[in-house]
Amino acid sequence: MKLPRFSRKTLGIPYAVFLVFFVIIPMLVIVFYAFTTGVKDPETGAESFSFSFSNFLRFFSDPTKLSTIVYSLVIALVTTVCCLLIAYPVAYILARSRLKKKFVILMLFVLPMWINFVLRVNALREIFNLLSLAPALESLTSANYFKTIFGMVYDFLPFMILPLYTTIMKIDQSLYEASADLGGSALVTFTRVTLPLSMPGIMSGVTMVFLPSMTNYVVSDMLGNAKVTIIGKFIYEYFGNDWHMGSMVALVLLVVVFLSSWLSGGFKADENVRGTNL
Amino acid sequence: MKKSVSILLAGCMLVPMLGVFSGCSGKKADIILRVYNWEEYIDEGGEGTFIYDELHELDDKGKAVKDGAGNHVHIESDIVDDDYKAWYEDAMGVPLSEEGPAILDDFELWYEKHYGVKIKVEYSTFGTNEDMYNELLLGNEYDLLCPSDYMIMKLAAEGRLEKYDESFFDRENELNYYINNVSPFIQEKFETNAGLTGKDYSWSEYAAGYMWGTTGFVYNPEIVSEEELNELGWQAFVTKGDRYTNKITAKDNVRDTYFAALGVTFEEELLSLKERRESGELSDEEYMLELTRIFNDTTDGTIAKVEPVLQKIKENIYSFETDTGKADLVNGNVNLNYAWSGDAVYAMDMAEAENDKYLNYFVPLGGSNLWFDGWVMPKGVSERGTKQAAEAFVNFLSMPQNAMRNSYYIGYTSAIAGSEMEMLDYADYLYGYEPEDEEEEAKESVEYDLSWFFGGEAVITAEREQAERRQLYAQFPPEEVMARCAVMDYYGEEATVRINELWSRVKAETLDAWAIIVICLTVTGIALFVVYVKLGAKIDFFRRKPKKGYHKVEE
Repeated sequence: MKLPRFSRKTLGIPYAVFLVFFVIIPMLVIVFYAFTTGVKDPETGAESFSFSFSNFLRFFSDPTKLSTIVYSLVIALVTTVCCLLIAYPVAYILARSRLKKKFVILMLFVLPMWINFVLRVNALREIFNLLSLAPALESLTSANYFKTIFGMVYDFLPFMILPLYTTIMKIDQSLYEASADLGGSALVTFTRVTLPLSMPGIMSGVTMVFLPSMTNYVVSDMLGNAKVTIIGKFIYEYFGNDWHMGSMVALVLLVVVFLSSWLSGGFKADENVRGTNL
Repeated sequence: MKKSVSILLAGCMLVPMLGVFSGCSGKKADIILRVYNWEEYIDEGGEGTFIYDELHELDDKGKAVKDGAGNHVHIESDIVDDDYKAWYEDAMGVPLSEEGPAILDDFELWYEKHYGVKIKVEYSTFGTNEDMYNELLLGNEYDLLCPSDYMIMKLAAEGRLEKYDESFFDRENELNYYINNVSPFIQEKFETNAGLTGKDYSWSEYAAGYMWGTTGFVYNPEIVSEEELNELGWQAFVTKGDRYTNKITAKDNVRDTYFAALGVTFEEELLSLKERRESGELSDEEYMLELTRIFNDTTDGTIAKVEPVLQKIKENIYSFETDTGKADLVNGNVNLNYAWSGDAVYAMDMAEAENDKYLNYFVPLGGSNLWFDGWVMPKGVSERGTKQAAEAFVNFLSMPQNAMRNSYYIGYTSAIAGSEMEMLDYADYLYGYEPEDEEEEAKESVEYDLSWFFGGEAVITAEREQAERRQLYAQFPPEEVMARCAVMDYYGEEATVRINELWSRVKAETLDAWAIIVICLTVTGIALFVVYVKLGAKIDFFRRKPKKGYHKVEE
């Protein structure tokens, strides 16, 4: 029995089709909607599109939307920094320890990821209710921001720990020894060896946490009592009645996210990128 | 060889999948009726449905009690009696199952029995009116939709709906269950209120009522008294103090919260209107017209007045919510929850059953919202030949026996009264005063008049508490409450844009202009610096000169 030979080209076709239908075309649709407005024919009800910059102008002349972008960026930034500060020591200790069952501990950190996200956020909400955070504190608007960021950190922590752990695991033991041999103190070893070599892990962790925390409005709705508004919520609400503006907001977010990933990649030497960034 | 085996195995896995797909269309139906409804908005059969609960002995938690042998204990029911069973068997052609049949299955049986045509209902659900609208816009074909009031008006105004056939409203035909059973109050609202504010959003020919209700506050009477709320009315949203600040919730959608903010802003005007009506200066119609005008005002001047009020509301409330408010109220996080009447009934039931807590419902004296959901047919049902079936579906749901089932399952109030006022029996069954012991006998009872809804002498005896502030008051409000509830119209396309902009300004924080400029400049600066560092190495122009004594080695 002779089977047809699958060349790389033919095996690649499904992926190409996937990319075209689920990435490129949707992207073009968003761009199309963002730069058009719909005109309804009052008689037939049929909608026709005309090219326009009005959504673009409306977005950038509206202080509320610009502020929301800023707020979302800040929330995402704080979330990412918190995640990094918590995750790095954990990943470092786990990766370098001689514990026999460290895999189990790692799994415990990652375990929450396997439980439905909405359920976890709901549970967190109930815990906050139980603690009820001292009534005086509760009345501050910042309490809602605190709870939102707490929820996001809790939610995205595994995405930071995993890449950090695998990167630090891969650092060659002999490099630490070499550093010690050449008289490097523990601190110098960390700053000159561990940290630069774990950069790829940091970068991919940051990308995985930063981007979703700008748009995850489920957390801000449930824990921030919907009094915290991030850009993702705008996109959701606009798609209820104005697809054109919704697409524009989505497009702006896309550009912001693209720029921030590209720029953050610019801070480090190229040879440290093991294909983990972007 | 290995490869061929794996391909063979993959093929084997695919075959049964194909079988499943083709299996769906195995039983051929002559008509397919596509119904698109809210989630959990129709009796789906099984435990917890009207028929099941009526025929089983239930424990405190609503679960069926089992006897020693592990069988369910069946009981005699007042409503699902022999007559009801006979009606069921006559209508569906099969005996009534005690396990609680689903309405959709029943419809298929009923339709085939009465029209001799096999029908299949393809039922799907949505979560918000906007989701439903988007699905429609994307070209999905449905035969019957169940949007809310304003969405019906929007769809009608955009010419997306098909009118009901004139014969649908013919009272002579006894198969026209809708027109023969709908509450005269609801029917009159549909006919007179459509286009009340002078906008061309008339909906009465396009829609058949399904569920309706009011909006108001569910509150904890141990902390906030009814007298106090009568005094405060809508101002409860902006009242400061331990019991109000951070202890009240608003809805997380622009229409309901804008409505509430209008109530707060124009409360004095609303109350004086009410007084003028009570003194006879205004007729009921004039009063309703004025009320509707105020609660549908979207002029720029009004928006400017309402915006600071909305900001105040936002500062004062605990949360904007869609469905967490009920739980927050029951477990004591908040004292007041602005809610739809159906949710209010649910919250009161839940608090009573789970926390042994008694909550009350209150509709502000200045006036509130009368909302409804109705069945409409999108354009194209005639061409597809499903219009008759769609109308039959509405008629089927409008049989009082079925309206009870849906109302019981959903917890909201049906638009159906029943030609023989059958729904009054249902209200009496739910809320009638029947003291079972001495403690209950001591409770005060009143004659509760629902004639306004049933269009004829309709009175039940109920506990005073129920009639004045609890479930009965929420589910079947007294006439004076209905007199001060206005329908919220579709704002129109242009006004909707302005209201949504208002909403985003309220929901999000806005920074000062200088802050935005500073931030933008900083970000641009950082970006340029990074671009410089990133591109510096590649572009000759940016390349730094080697230090003295060094020279560059080309790679």
